[in-house]
Amino acid sequence: MEGLESFPEKKLFQAIFENSFEAIMIVDDHDCFVEVNSCACNLFGCTKEELLGRSIFDFLIGTLNSNNKERIQIRYLDGKNKTLKYKLVKDLLPNYKLLILTDITQLKLAEEELHRQHQRVKLFSEVTFKISQALQLEEILQTAVTEVQRILKADRVLIYQLFANGTGMAISEAVLPNCRPVLGVEFPEEVFPEEYRELYEKGRVKAIADVESQQANLIDCLIEFLHEWNVKAKLIVPILQNLNPKKGKGKRTPKLWGLLIAHQCTNTRQWQNFELELMQQLAAQIGIALSQAELRGNLEELVAQRTAKLREANRSLQEEINDRQKAEAALRRSEEKLSLIANGIPVLIAYVDKHQSYRFNNQAYQRWFGFSPHKIYGSHLKEVHGKEEYQKMKQYIDKVLSGETVTYEKDMTFQDGNIHTVNVTYIPHIHKQKKAVIKGFFALTSDISDRKAIERMKDEFISVVSHELRTPLTSIHSSLKILATGKLGNLSPKGHRMLTIADEQTDRLVRLVNNVLDLQSIQSGKVKMNKKACQANELMLEACQAMQTMANERGVTLFSQTVNFLVWADYDYIVQTLTNLLSNAIKFSPPESMIFLSASVESIEQKEKRQTSINYVTFKVRDQGQGIPLNQLETIFERFQQVDSSDSRKKGGTGLGLTICRQIIEGHGGKIWAQSCLGKGSTFYFTLPLLINKGGSFDE
Amino acid sequence: MSDKCILLIDDEEAIREVVQIGIEIEVGWQVLIASSGIEGIAIAENQQPNAILLDVMMPEMDGIKTLSNLKANSQTQLIPVIFLTAKTQAADKKQFQNLGVAGVITKPFNSMTLAGRVSKMLNWDK
Repeated sequence: MEGLESFPEKKLFQAIFENSFEAIMIVDDHDCFVEVNSCACNLFGCTKEELLGRSIFDFLIGTLNSNNKERIQIRYLDGKNKTLKYKLVKDLLPNYKLLILTDITQLKLAEEELHRQHQRVKLFSEVTFKISQALQLEEILQTAVTEVQRILKADRVLIYQLFANGTGMAISEAVLPNCRPVLGVEFPEEVFPEEYRELYEKGRVKAIADVESQQANLIDCLIEFLHEWNVKAKLIVPILQNLNPKKGKGKRTPKLWGLLIAHQCTNTRQWQNFELELMQQLAAQIGIALSQAELRGNLEELVAQRTAKLREANRSLQEEINDRQKAEAALRRSEEKLSLIANGIPVLIAYVDKHQSYRFNNQAYQRWFGFSPHKIYGSHLKEVHGKEEYQKMKQYIDKVLSGETVTYEKDMTFQDGNIHTVNVTYIPHIHKQKKAVIKGFFALTSDISDRKAIERMKDEFISVVSHELRTPLTSIHSSLKILATGKLGNLSPKGHRMLTIADEQTDRLVRLVNNVLDLQSIQSGKVKMNKKACQANELMLEACQAMQTMANERGVTLFSQTVNFLVWADYDYIVQTLTNLLSNAIKFSPPESMIFLSASVESIEQKEKRQTSINYVTFKVRDQGQGIPLNQLETIFERFQQVDSSDSRKKGGTGLGLTICRQIIEGHGGKIWAQSCLGKGSTFYFTLPLLINKGGSFDE
Repeated sequence: MSDKCILLIDDEEAIREVVQIGIEIEVGWQVLIASSGIEGIAIAENQQPNAILLDVMMPEMDGIKTLSNLKANSQTQLIPVIFLTAKTQAADKKQFQNLGVAGVITKPFNSMTLAGRVSKMLNWDK
């Protein structure tokens, strides 16, 4: 394409000038039109002829500057305005200016609308923000009415809450000082009929420019009411609250909660759409706030419930803590008391764990051995007592750690250098739940030196007295026997009788002395049972043989069962026991009666069922004598406890026989007891460990 | 048995008398008596009795000491000795037997049967 130079210049400009969408004009130094294009004629609404020669300021308001950015307005005869953008070229020709005008009225209107919209959005978001910032419903409502009143510049903005009975009340209000406030005033039911309610419920809004106009179509009573409050124009939007549907049931249903109302009191007012929109949007926000408040209310209720529960839990926890503290204090006091007692008593008290280390020692350890309880805490028994002593203790420690209570006696050297006899008891500390688990043991050691000394003195005393009695008894006994022979001279029958009495009583005194000494020996442990396997049959036969003479004298028959098993026993002591029982039976049997001696292992099956490894033989001595009262069956085994004290004199007993028997049987790990039927006889039983059952006859 | 001679050593006069009379009446043996160990050893040496009945508990020289002296003495060591004692415990009896006595008779005994018991112990009645 060729350049512009190739076109005739004048012709080109002429075409541009005439066809431009811009209004182009040339004005002289006096601002009078010299040339205008058709667009300019259209802009000014005049013909070219009407414009030429006239001043541009006949049409334009304002001044023209050369910076070209200014806007200018054109005023028409009918009063309407247009906004123009202009470009002024001053130095085009000497004394002439080129002026180009563009109509930007629509643009400006659009701009303004945009600005307004922006403002509204800004305002709305501000209000929404303020509402959302407020937590209390009252504050939200107050913010809403205040902001609407401020933006709308209405005389009064109020929130009207509808009550279930059809009445309502203004619960929030923003009102100018020159208007009467309606806050707190209850509106009668009539001013808000049911049909209004239904319409609002569907979301109807109502903008009334003039309450009295026909268009308003208000019921009379409402008009009256509005008069009363001097309302000329009003704008009403419903506040709908989205109710929470019941769980799992349907959609949320809007409920008419109230109305957001703007009043104009000084004059009628044409409400703008944006005002209506603002009100609607705020009403929607209030609706949301109401739902949130409801939710918050529920939440608060929930929180309150939880808080109450927590408080209750807290209280019981506190009570528990108090109780525990009390219990702990009581425990401390109890521990202090126990500690006082434990440290005060003259017994060694210790707790040893399963690894054989001391975990507790009382102060007696300090007093007796100079061991500080703190120093020996945690130390092994071997460390504290030394290797040699520990070897002696070990068998008992092994026993207690296998769950068995152990008691033994030993001699210990105290820190004063003296040797004391002590009694030691180990008690296992067995796990409460797991019985097989031994956690440790308690060791109690008491000084029995004094007791031992007294026992020794007692034993010596009995021994000495018994020995010292024997010598004069020998003389008396022998003298009487010699006299009884009659070889030293004859005595009268009465003299003989006296001699017999003296002889019998001397015999009795001898037995008494022997029994006292026997008992003392067995009890003091001086005598050790020399246990070995014994044929039960031999024991029984020997006892019967020993007593046969006495039985014959009394006319009593002895029956001994033949058995064939071995018992683990001291032969002499068991024969003594059987002899004693037979002697008692003979003494208390009437002439011509019988005494049965038998032995059996009848309890063997029962024992097997209980899986007891030790079986027993039960010996029985049954007589047909006078019997023993039930309440004396146990006491007869105690010292000097005969059924009838006259018996001992009558029968020549000592009152110690059964006590000795019991000592002997218990020394064998057996038991002795009696059963009786008054007038029919008594049976004495004792048990001994069975060694081997050779299948003897068990028949009586 | 009537030719037997017995020596009784006991510090108790009453015992000495009842034993002497009892044995004489029972079997008619001769009973020599001594009130102490020393006196007894002297009599034993001189009279050579068939047996000695020796009390254990005596002042100064007790029966055990007397026995050891008798056993140590070549003139008396073969004479059988029977202890007369108030010690009846098994342990005592065992101790006596170990000392080499022919027997132990515990007090109180019956002097009228004493000779029989001694004969039995010393196998004189066979």
